[in-house]
Amino acid sequence: MKFKPRAPREGINVSSTHPLREAALLIGGVSAIFATLILVIGWSVDLAVRWIPPELEVHTFGDWAYGLGDPEHEPERLAAEVLAQRLAAHWPEAPYAFQVIVTDHPEANAAALPGGTILVTTGLLRGLQSENELAFVLGHELGHFHGRDHLRGLGRGILYQLTASALFGFSVTAPDVTAFLGNMTARGFDRGQERAADRFGLTLVQARYGHVAGAGGFFERLASGASELDELAAYASTHPASSDRLEDLDDYAAQQGWKRDGELDPWQRSN
Amino acid sequence: METLIQFGITLAVLTFAYLVGSIIERRHFESLREREARHREFPTVSFETLPEGWRVAASGLAVGSTVVSLDYFKRFLAGLRGIVGGRIRSYEPLLDRARREALLRMTEQAVADGYDAIFNVRLETSRLASSRGDGKGTSGVEMLAFGTAVKLVRSP
Repeated sequence: MKFKPRAPREGINVSSTHPLREAALLIGGVSAIFATLILVIGWSVDLAVRWIPPELEVHTFGDWAYGLGDPEHEPERLAAEVLAQRLAAHWPEAPYAFQVIVTDHPEANAAALPGGTILVTTGLLRGLQSENELAFVLGHELGHFHGRDHLRGLGRGILYQLTASALFGFSVTAPDVTAFLGNMTARGFDRGQERAADRFGLTLVQARYGHVAGAGGFFERLASGASELDELAAYASTHPASSDRLEDLDDYAAQQGWKRDGELDPWQRSN
Repeated sequence: METLIQFGITLAVLTFAYLVGSIIERRHFESLREREARHREFPTVSFETLPEGWRVAASGLAVGSTVVSLDYFKRFLAGLRGIVGGRIRSYEPLLDRARREALLRMTEQAVADGYDAIFNVRLETSRLASSRGDGKGTSGVEMLAFGTAVKLVRSP
């Protein structure tokens, strides 16, 4: 046999696909898969939530949050809880025994957690100018319980995280369980849900005070942008489009013939 | 805003990695072709035994090795591939370059040492553990080419 010198052939072991084409194909395909996954998860959670009776939710989560939050804020926590329960008195068929937990966080935020627990940050309590403002924020969260949005938000959040962990193999470590759950819950609320919760909250405020003055005070400061409270921005990021919502609240109050002025109750931390 | 900045940085690094990686790859392929053409007449074969008629005057071990690493762009594409499966096309040119470079280095060493041919040529690959410390990930692969270099007895 004779040795015949030959240059190595190219194009056998290397695909001729241009790397940018490959990138576009992969990015497009994977994004499409994720978008579909997110949609499917959203729909299935919405479906599933309808089948979870509130009694079961209360039974499962009723007292899980007991003792969470920061003990040094007990006076404020208690005051807010009493207020929440007084508001809930105007929603007699509520299946929950509402409780409030306060977490030490500079960003103003509130969240509805499973089982009837409302999470409020110290940042939100610090920025309050009247009890009516807090009543509306709590009423809004009660509205999420009414619409069962909290389960939807939480369900989606958890499923998204699970899917991400399954796909990419990273695990979720949340140093602050309450903040984590609050964050999860806040995701996946849509405008319609926010609007419905707003109206529900306003109805409770009207029922309690006989007027809706000061209810939107929180959002007014958000919308005017004149506020020096940077923390408000955090609330806006999970509860979007405040000027729209303010208008909607105003229209709704006018439509219902509710008084939009009246005496504001002062927010007392330790009453 | 923060997310946007992070996204922008990732995109910039990807673009940078792609541009630099492409230039390096193109130059390397040019160099490979040119050197392969130069050593075309030098037999590197995988026979285990000497072909009939070869009379060996001297022999030695010829070794060539390359260590290659992934660039960020290729790793990104491979990561996406890891989700959907299929040929990791972005790695193919990389490994092709590594194989050919290792073979060339082996050949060039043998030529420099005055050998006439290399037989029993083998290729081996080993993975270098990453510097991440958790044992996961790959910082690169080594491509090792080796064979027995021989000097042939010339007829007077």
